[in-house]
Amino acid sequence: MLLQLNNIFKWVQQGGKRVFLLKDINLQVEEGEFISVMGPSGSGKSTLLNVLGMLDGFDEGEYHFMDESVHSLKEKHRAELYKQYIGFVFQAYHLIDELTVYENLEMPLLYKKIKGSERKALVADMLDRFSIVGKKDLFPTQLSGGQQQLVGVARALITKPKLILADEPTGNLNSKQGEEIMELFKKLNQDGVTIIQVTHSEKNAEYGSRIIHLLDGRKVEG
Amino acid sequence: MLKHNILLYLRNIKKNKGSFFINLIGLTTGLACAILVYLWVSDELRVDKFHENDTRLYQVLRHQPNGQNEIATYASNSSLMLRALQEEVPEVEMATALYTMGGTMLEGGEKKLRANGNMASEDFFKMFSYPIVAGDKNSLLQDVNSVVISKALADSFFGEGNDPVGKTLTVKHGEDQINAVFTISGVFEIPENSSQQFDFVLTYKKFLELRDPQDIHWGSNSSRVYATLKPGIDVKNFNKKIADFITKKSERTTASVCFTLFSDNYLKGNFDNGVQTGGRINYVILFGLVAFFVLAIACINFMNLSTARASRRLKEVGVKKAVGASRKSLIFQFLTESVVLSFFSLVCAVLIVILLMPWFNDVTGKELKFALEGKALLGIIVITLLTGLISGSYPALYLSKFSPIKVLKGKIKTAFGELLIRKGLVIFQFGISILLIVAVSVIYVQLHFIQSKNLGYDKDNVLVFNREDGLVSNMETFLQEARQLPGVINASYMQGDMTNFSNSSWGHSWPGQTEEAKRLTFRHAHVGPRFIETMGIEVKEGRSYIDEKPNNESKIILNETAVTLMGLKNPVGTLIDMRGDNREIIGVVKDFNIQSLYEEIAPMALLCRTEWVRTLVVKIKAGSEKNTIADLTALYAEFNPGLAFDFRFLDHQYQQQYIAEKRVSVLAKYFAGLAVIISCLGLFGLAMFTAERRKKEISIRKVLGQTATQVIVMISGEFAKLVLISIFIALPIAYILVDLWLSSFAYRIPLKLWYFIGAGLVALIVAMLTVGSQAIRAANSNPVNALRDE
Repeated sequence: MLLQLNNIFKWVQQGGKRVFLLKDINLQVEEGEFISVMGPSGSGKSTLLNVLGMLDGFDEGEYHFMDESVHSLKEKHRAELYKQYIGFVFQAYHLIDELTVYENLEMPLLYKKIKGSERKALVADMLDRFSIVGKKDLFPTQLSGGQQQLVGVARALITKPKLILADEPTGNLNSKQGEEIMELFKKLNQDGVTIIQVTHSEKNAEYGSRIIHLLDGRKVEG
Repeated sequence: MLKHNILLYLRNIKKNKGSFFINLIGLTTGLACAILVYLWVSDELRVDKFHENDTRLYQVLRHQPNGQNEIATYASNSSLMLRALQEEVPEVEMATALYTMGGTMLEGGEKKLRANGNMASEDFFKMFSYPIVAGDKNSLLQDVNSVVISKALADSFFGEGNDPVGKTLTVKHGEDQINAVFTISGVFEIPENSSQQFDFVLTYKKFLELRDPQDIHWGSNSSRVYATLKPGIDVKNFNKKIADFITKKSERTTASVCFTLFSDNYLKGNFDNGVQTGGRINYVILFGLVAFFVLAIACINFMNLSTARASRRLKEVGVKKAVGASRKSLIFQFLTESVVLSFFSLVCAVLIVILLMPWFNDVTGKELKFALEGKALLGIIVITLLTGLISGSYPALYLSKFSPIKVLKGKIKTAFGELLIRKGLVIFQFGISILLIVAVSVIYVQLHFIQSKNLGYDKDNVLVFNREDGLVSNMETFLQEARQLPGVINASYMQGDMTNFSNSSWGHSWPGQTEEAKRLTFRHAHVGPRFIETMGIEVKEGRSYIDEKPNNESKIILNETAVTLMGLKNPVGTLIDMRGDNREIIGVVKDFNIQSLYEEIAPMALLCRTEWVRTLVVKIKAGSEKNTIADLTALYAEFNPGLAFDFRFLDHQYQQQYIAEKRVSVLAKYFAGLAVIISCLGLFGLAMFTAERRKKEISIRKVLGQTATQVIVMISGEFAKLVLISIFIALPIAYILVDLWLSSFAYRIPLKLWYFIGAGLVALIVAMLTVGSQAIRAANSNPVNALRDE
């Protein structure tokens, strides 16, 4: 088992009242799953993803990730954990505009303190795998949206994570580009990477092996 | 990682050239100021520190109650002090006495040169580490007919490379009636950072030989005395023990003895009522602080602009954190940026320093050299590194603390303008600028006041020159002939200088004297007939010395202060005992300033005598200076063949007294200007960002009917508020500080309200002009463009 959420609650105080963002979420994810999270705006999809990615905390409940109890870990330790096992893909790509494709890919490796020669090999490998070798010296603004997201996925993958968290990865793309990214996810999943994506599109959700529906912070069946 | 960070930074610069240049200019100027001041300060701190015995080398000072409930401190001591210290005080390792001869004529072969000489006892060169380049260090100053000369003097008399030891020089010194041949026993060098500068040294034995034995007693203070204490002696305790040394020797004296570290005297030479109160060190500290503040203002620009532009960097922070960057690594990244920038600035600053060096030396009266080596290099690198770290610290901590999801979701409101710290920093910048503006204007007005103050004498068109060579014996004849010259109004002579009557005495008596007044200390000077007329001093009662025969022992003239303090009702005609019995007061003159305006006018006596007279004064007509000086030069040549007529103007000499203040005013002017400019650069940057940040708000307001003028007022008002707050904080502080500075003057300007209001207005206007351009641009932009962006 990769991760497990037990009775997760998350809320904010608003005018003296608790507004629940997540309410009693229970979830088990096995290695190799491809999960799609769906639900209307404000239903807590992104919050759930952030909690899973350890970028955001929660107020109650337990979170186990690969035998570690995330809820009792210190901030620093938690960062170590997600740095090693989790990759993020964002709707707005979030590449750094001042860095080239090559440098964007290299960045996560710098923070993992990987040596220069190895970094070179890993980046070259990734460029090759995504057929973007010819674009390595271009800046993000010189690429199309689909290409940018390709780089975004490549950046998420370069640290060889066990889990990829994607927040509406195709939200800013046209349908053809979106399809390409989803095909890529499917292939990655077949290679053994666990993927959890948030999506609005039924069609994209179908790529997953399991769909979770959220409504007002609650998991609903159906 | 470092390479990566630097690369990222360089590309960011490309994108944000505006704030980069604001920061670069600010930090460059700040660093250039800091480097210049650092060089100056470290040079000042090095003065007199080269002596091997530096930590044990003391000057013996004399604290003398002046009869007006104050204590005056003198460097001069009785010549008996030397032997007494050597023989009776076990803590003293070595001691030396030094008599300053001042201007002297030296002749060797065909050559005649003016030189400054000392007379010093045997251990002088053992105690002071002036390098001896020829002769035997241990046998110098022993033979009464020997002289030790400086390398420069040796070179000009005998040519470079020739050993002068054993050769002879004729020394002529009027006042002490020396006119004899001396054999050179050694050659010394004087390092640049020595406060003592002299050309030759005769023996102290010679001084004692020439002195009337009657004048050698504990009340006659002619020499400076220095001593080294044995290692491990605590000078505080020692001073307690030695304080009554003189009073034990002679009941008539009231002076106490105090040892102060010789090398401290250069920087802390001022004594107020017997307590060391600073001196040059005040200016060292002052400019250290000013340079620090100019640099701080530049650092603040960096902090403010970096945090103001945070919204642009937040995405980068968020992404990096999401892919695993720790807060530490981000702090490191931002610090790298600021350090890289400060080293960029260092390169520019070094170029500026090299360019400005001649100007800076001119202003400070130093001969500083800029060399990137050793301690200076280390100091400069440390300053630069600190600048980078300090200016980067706040942005680094600020930018790195955001949580990645909030940033990436754009949930952080870019209301950074509301940030208290940034406002505080702007207030600080302007506060410092306003403080400097006030300081500069007050210093300027006070200096102007000093220059135009009625001194009680007329310092214009008075030529001053030394009584030397032929003038020693023929002074009267020279003056008579000089008075015949068409452009000459009057001519006379005096002891010492108009700017410093250093001789003083006490223990005089007069009819109706109170017990207290017995200790009243009088300044006195020997002057010639017509001196009072030549100087334009007003006679209040009685008459002046006109056709008096000099050296008439029965007459005396006093100043008003003396008469008041003595309590004489009808002074003219009264007989008093002062430097001679039964002297008749023939006149009272109105007070005139003889010392700097830091001092109150002291009671003063003028005696008509030729002995100790060193200076001739000639008053000439305005308008025909050139011809008159030519005539005087010709006359001078008749009396002193082969000697250049070396004169100075009295008003110039007067200004020289305030050279330190003048330097302060020039430097302060530039520093204040820089502080204002750098502050405004920062404000410009902030205004630019504010206008951009509020673009949407402004557009909506305009669509809803706000006029362009209202927009301008709105944006400018935000900054005007900050400047107003800084005015209210800075002005009281400025008032306290300048009042403190002025209080050191006995004669000072009153502080007027407009100095302060003016400074505040200048700051406000400059700030509004800076912000205004940005506000106008924002107000006139087409709202549709901004709204479409969203």
